[in-house]
Amino acid sequence: MPGRWLVFSAAVFLSASAAAAEEYRFDVEAFEKKPFELNGYAELRAERSWLDRDAALYQLNFFDQEAHSALDRMTGALELSGLYRRGIATVQATVHGEGARDELGSEGETRLYEGYLTLEPATGTRVEAGKRVLRWGKGYAWNPVGFVERPKDPNDPELSREGFVMLGGSYTRSLDGALKTVTFTPLLVPTTGHLNEGFGSGEHANAAARLSLLYRDTDIDFLVLGAGARSARYGLDFARNLTTNFEIHGEWARITDATKPMLSASGAVTTQTADATSYLLGVRHLSVNDATTILEYYRNGTGYSEAEMQDFFRFGHTAYDTFLQTGTDTALQRARDLLEASYGRPTPMQRYLYLRVSQKEPFDILYFNPAVASIVNLDDHSYSLAPELLYTGVTNLDLRLRWFLLHGNWLTDFGEKQNAQRLELRVRYYF
Amino acid sequence: MRRPPCAFLLLVLFLAPSAYALDGDELLRRVDRNLNPESYEAYRKLINIEPDGRRKEYVLYTVKKGRDKLIALFLDPPSEKGRATLRLGDNMWLYIPGVGKPLRITSLQSVVGGVFNNADILNLDYSVEYRVEKAAEEPADYTLELKARTGAVAYDRLNMRVDRATLTPTEIEAYAASGLLIKTLHFKDIKDFGGIKRPSVIETDSPLYKGYKSVMLYAKIKARVFPDEVFTLDYLPRAGELR
Repeated sequence: MPGRWLVFSAAVFLSASAAAAEEYRFDVEAFEKKPFELNGYAELRAERSWLDRDAALYQLNFFDQEAHSALDRMTGALELSGLYRRGIATVQATVHGEGARDELGSEGETRLYEGYLTLEPATGTRVEAGKRVLRWGKGYAWNPVGFVERPKDPNDPELSREGFVMLGGSYTRSLDGALKTVTFTPLLVPTTGHLNEGFGSGEHANAAARLSLLYRDTDIDFLVLGAGARSARYGLDFARNLTTNFEIHGEWARITDATKPMLSASGAVTTQTADATSYLLGVRHLSVNDATTILEYYRNGTGYSEAEMQDFFRFGHTAYDTFLQTGTDTALQRARDLLEASYGRPTPMQRYLYLRVSQKEPFDILYFNPAVASIVNLDDHSYSLAPELLYTGVTNLDLRLRWFLLHGNWLTDFGEKQNAQRLELRVRYYF
Repeated sequence: MRRPPCAFLLLVLFLAPSAYALDGDELLRRVDRNLNPESYEAYRKLINIEPDGRRKEYVLYTVKKGRDKLIALFLDPPSEKGRATLRLGDNMWLYIPGVGKPLRITSLQSVVGGVFNNADILNLDYSVEYRVEKAAEEPADYTLELKARTGAVAYDRLNMRVDRATLTPTEIEAYAASGLLIKTLHFKDIKDFGGIKRPSVIETDSPLYKGYKSVMLYAKIKARVFPDEVFTLDYLPRAGELR
């Protein structure tokens, strides 16, 4: 009898163990490091833009198109990232392809965002060559010290961007004492007629460097870009946790001989050259209810004053009226060129405030994160407001719904943008 | 000089383990060392199980050095792959490949959605983050009441039940400063990881997420000492190369 019980108990134990093993399986060998890796995402984005036909930017962008009060746009994107490692060498590349269609037509392009070789002879010592995305600065929405990168869109700060071809390296040392880490990153961003066109014109080596420190509990960076295709500039940034749920960060940049195209109300175009100072101060706070707040103040030293921007908008409206009356578009084309060069930046003026509040999983709905972001122009008091719903409950699938609402009076930054509202649904699948 | 009687020596020997067992701080340090070497690498799988049985799984590679240097790198699923968190004491940074640079995060911030938070993913030794307020012994277990040393941890108090035979936890109740029970961790299935015998499964349930369960599975826990330069912002995007 005891023998039967023993057999029965063993059977129960074994089946329970088998069930447990089946229930929680961890094939760790599948995650061993491999020489080759490939991953990426495919994305579909559906947008509806409600156009403001009285706005200067609508008139400049659509004067030669059939009048529309709304535009529906569908975009498909594919981003592939690959990596190959052998010994001390690693080759990485990211390719981004995108195609879009709306009532006005279709467009598409594929670009190499990154493609570079890394050699790491020792931990903390690295040499890199190729096309590389560098992100300098501590700011979330803006980076005044982002000297060697393409401009960030504060409406979507986490969007991937294309890099520049460069030769660089980094040397890191960890230390005992108040100064805990030192990293030095020198680099060259060469420009020729065909190489790094977006960085600037002329044939230059464009030397830059960053010195990063962790001093006590504060991150500090000193950054410099020598004169070349861009004017010389230098700056610093910092970030620190003041308490366990409150972080502060900031950036300061001095740009020598910053050039700014100017359009007067009469239509005269001049280029203003002067040294400029830009800076950013920001905080990040996490509440006991898991609400994260990011607040940043941005002073854009190369931005336009309220009067300068009003001159541009006024000229745009006048040029549009002239076009309607006479059919002559010379003035409109001139304004459109300036729009692309400088006035059309997402935040072209001097003082802005960025606020983003996101709530993690309200009402205990797992993987659901609503947020609202706002950019306020402190010079003319116009603003954008963007409520957002993000759901990540299905493995590898992100669903994001955003609604941009722009508000501002006549001749104000957000009041003269081409959209009054924009609704965007993004479905992204990672693989 | 008179020799102590044998009965007295036997009494001392009998009482010694009890006296040791009640040295809560030493006991907690032993528990820490039985769970992990001070410097190590390990693989973990996190599973969130919803009331309807739906699962979401994450795989992490973790490296730790000394008392307070730690990196946790997500290897799976692809939506999280490459996401890495660095902890140096109370300082924490999060690197997201799309963002392209490590950003400072508050230490209580959640790295991924779901029941897990940083305290589960970036936990240091218990004896580093908690001090023992009360230690007691029962026939099969020791019980430890722990209080957070700083406000930088997610759980203000822990009630830990420690198996007397293996000196590893069997159950931990985690409480907020308000006294609210946030979650209970159940340690199961002791395995030998090449000399480290410890529970390989931690099941978590929470009264805040009724019906939900989360599970952490351990694999390949190995003593390994990394250079200090690994635990820096510059190296964080390359943490995957450590494997």
